[in-house]
Amino acid sequence: MMNLWTLFVPELYCLLMAVVFFGLALSARPNPRRDYFVALFMAGVGVVVALACVRLEGTLFFEAYRVDLFSQVFKVMLAMGFFLVVCLCTELNGIEERHHPEFYLFLTTCTLAMMMLVSSVELLTIYVALELSSYSLYILVPLRRGHGVDVEAGIKYLMVGACASAVMLFGLSYVFGVTHTTYVVEIIQVLPGVIGTPAAIVGLLLVLCGFFFKLAVFPFHFWAPDVYQGAANQVTAYIATASKVAAVGIIIRMVALSGGNSKYLVDMLVTLSIASMTLGNLVAIVQKDMKRLLAYSSISHAGYVLIGILSMSAIGYASAIFYALAYLVMNLCCFLVVVKVAHDGSDLKIAQLAGLHRRSPLLAMALMLAVFGLAGIPPTIGFTGKFLVFAAAMEKGYITLVIIAMINATISLYYYILVVKAAYLMEPDEELPRLPVSIPTKVLTVALVTVMVVFGVFPHHLLEVARAAARMLM
Amino acid sequence: MSMEFANFPYLSAILLSCVVGLLVILFIPAERKMLIKWVSLVSSGIAMVLSIYLFFAYDKAQGGLQFVEKVLWVESMGIYYFNAADGFNLPMLMLTGIVLFTGVLTMWDLEVRVKEFFAFTFLLVAGVFGVFMSMDLFFIFVWYDVSLFPMYPLIAIWGSTRKEYGAMKLTLYLLAGSALILPGILYLFVKSGLNTFDVVALMQPGVFTPFQQKFAFILLYLGFGILAGVWPFHTWSPVGHVAAPTAVSMIHAGVLMKLGAFGVLRVAIFLCPEGWQYWAQLMAVLATCGIVYGAFVGLAQTDLKYVIGYSSVSHMGIVGLGLATVTIDGLNGAVFQMFAHGVMTALLFSSVGYIYDKTHTKMIPELGGMSKIMPVASGYFILAALAGIGVPCLASFWAELLVFIAAFKTYPVRGALAICALVVGALFMLRVVQRTFYGEKNEKFEHLPDVTFGSGIPRMILVAVIVFFGLFPSVMLDVIQVASVPFINGLP
Repeated sequence: MMNLWTLFVPELYCLLMAVVFFGLALSARPNPRRDYFVALFMAGVGVVVALACVRLEGTLFFEAYRVDLFSQVFKVMLAMGFFLVVCLCTELNGIEERHHPEFYLFLTTCTLAMMMLVSSVELLTIYVALELSSYSLYILVPLRRGHGVDVEAGIKYLMVGACASAVMLFGLSYVFGVTHTTYVVEIIQVLPGVIGTPAAIVGLLLVLCGFFFKLAVFPFHFWAPDVYQGAANQVTAYIATASKVAAVGIIIRMVALSGGNSKYLVDMLVTLSIASMTLGNLVAIVQKDMKRLLAYSSISHAGYVLIGILSMSAIGYASAIFYALAYLVMNLCCFLVVVKVAHDGSDLKIAQLAGLHRRSPLLAMALMLAVFGLAGIPPTIGFTGKFLVFAAAMEKGYITLVIIAMINATISLYYYILVVKAAYLMEPDEELPRLPVSIPTKVLTVALVTVMVVFGVFPHHLLEVARAAARMLM
Repeated sequence: MSMEFANFPYLSAILLSCVVGLLVILFIPAERKMLIKWVSLVSSGIAMVLSIYLFFAYDKAQGGLQFVEKVLWVESMGIYYFNAADGFNLPMLMLTGIVLFTGVLTMWDLEVRVKEFFAFTFLLVAGVFGVFMSMDLFFIFVWYDVSLFPMYPLIAIWGSTRKEYGAMKLTLYLLAGSALILPGILYLFVKSGLNTFDVVALMQPGVFTPFQQKFAFILLYLGFGILAGVWPFHTWSPVGHVAAPTAVSMIHAGVLMKLGAFGVLRVAIFLCPEGWQYWAQLMAVLATCGIVYGAFVGLAQTDLKYVIGYSSVSHMGIVGLGLATVTIDGLNGAVFQMFAHGVMTALLFSSVGYIYDKTHTKMIPELGGMSKIMPVASGYFILAALAGIGVPCLASFWAELLVFIAAFKTYPVRGALAICALVVGALFMLRVVQRTFYGEKNEKFEHLPDVTFGSGIPRMILVAVIVFFGLFPSVMLDVIQVASVPFINGLP
């Protein structure tokens, strides 16, 4: 029995963290420094715990919960994402001080929920995990100290999220109706045989809709720009990274259910992928706010990830996992710059990046590498991710899709270059002081940059891990 | 990991001299400008010496790939870190080394954001060297993109004349090219079924069906062709050249455009020889259009840098025409022309850069009589212009001669048109020379100093190279022959 509980250690650890923050939230006097260091320490240990548990395998809770390399790799990514977001919270000015413990509390519950999400192999468990993560975010988004924009963002997120949940539940009922089971292991034996029937395909697609909302795939992307802009910078960083990674994980698991031979599903995913990429990239061109720009760029990246997933091969899933990690690192690097430049917790206009190369050469370089990585330029991890995703799609013969995606990457380069131009070329109207960048921030920046370049150039080991994780699904 | 090193890894050493130079520059404080310049000079010097050494150390009797370095990089995808030298890339490596070194010297007086300038330059040149020496499709593509994106900051920060527009146009055009190249490369990778990106393995006969070759060739030809300035995708090139600072123009027109032509040769032609023969007619038409168009549009320009920009389009057309002939002479001429044009354009831009630095104008009507004010600076320009026209005893003459002989045999009409255009080109170059350097001198510029001995060194090196290979073309041709003869004879 003891042995079984060790499988659940990363989640239990998150639960412990949540309890600690709950306790801190009860204290009468706000103490942001104490909250920050507790969070930083616990999140750091969380990464270690997740890494220590990466080799575990087994099932829990009447087979509703599976721990395997696939889920553990995602848990490591989630723990890392959580830790890095906490690292950005040194100046948590976007949220009132008395709410800091709650902020960490809901980040923790959200991480917990997403860890459960990637391990769940039973439809209702998946649904419960998804809702737990969504509700945490529903609270986090309007936590921002603001003038009502935050509330609008919060309500928008809640409404779209609730609709997506409803659609997904409806889909789950179809899947259950077709397969007479809620266990993924059993579904995967039945569903490929009946995937040609309308009920099965509609059911699966509707279920996917719930996760597409999380990933901000067209047409479930409407919340993204407003929520990105309306939420506090650190919350946005979390939504943009960890939350996306979890969504990729669960979408891969659901798509793998189809067994890989459904033409309708592929056509549908191809359509959504092209629509997401194109819409995200075209609308991003006109954005003036950095976070809105990143929101639209995330919509387009959802499209690129889908390319890997819709290849429905082990290589395709592996490339999507790799891409998710690449996206996590690159986006966190962007948000690091956003948080540091807008250290009062306000929104960051792209024009406010002017003169960054003089105010902080390190942050400017990190931003340039990160956005070029997002655009898919070597030698960054973003390029390697795109390359793997496209290679997987090409293997299946989707050459038109790859060409469209590459054209999209070229379009996206335009607005990414505008960001670089702001940081390197434009001069601010009035002389701004150098940005104070503390030593830990420097270390963090250098670490992120190193990861982006080193894994871009030496993808071998990471790719092997992703492939091993993807084989768990087949 | 399997490793295979013939002896000292010269090719990697060239790459490393750039990468290490880049890293060292990144760690030097921005205020220490002289130190940065010296580090740049030393690393570019090492790269140049190594590349020249390799050119002469290549064993022509043995032929084939030499100085091979092969390391398995990503096992599951069949990606190798595979560098090798053959008759096609040795001239290109030497060209890059020479242009980089002279480019660094030309920018010796730079005072604005020195650190970033040399950092971006070395990143760019590392990419260029990488493309020339790689024999693995994955690395060719990676290096190709690495060499493109530093162009944006280099032009947009240190450039002139509509620099932001020029930089953005150039970057987007070139990366649109790579949007065609990557699908092309992945298509070949998947269709081969060999699970390898190794060019040598993929170029074995029978790996690809004729249809696959035709399809992939057109993707790769258009993709790389954009960078080679193939008409009608050349419009980024004059704009970009004009906007770029001197050293970047030199590297860009001198080396980077060759990257496109070399990509067509190394990737498209090597892997899809049947596609090459199938599309050769189209290539010849586009190349001829480029030669004629470049010459005539150049005739109407009043900006010295635009003149050189359009002459580059015209001269790169000659490279394209040579490649389109599918003959040994054509191939020899094309590779020789890449080298000769690279050195010549670098000299042209370097001379114009000097004149522009001193007079702050590059408009032909405002200049005039410069040979009386700066006889030495003018001398460099005039010599380069003569080389461009194809005057005997200068390097371009032999290259153009070979291409036109081959073209005239294969495509009489297009060849004749191209030769006529060359005469027009000669006319426009001479007219520019006459208006800028002779005639009434502009009083405004009378007090300006001429090129000193020190700042003349980079130009002297370039002149020496042009004259040397003009007098001894066989030194170059013997090396190229080693690669082109077996390749053409081995065609199906």
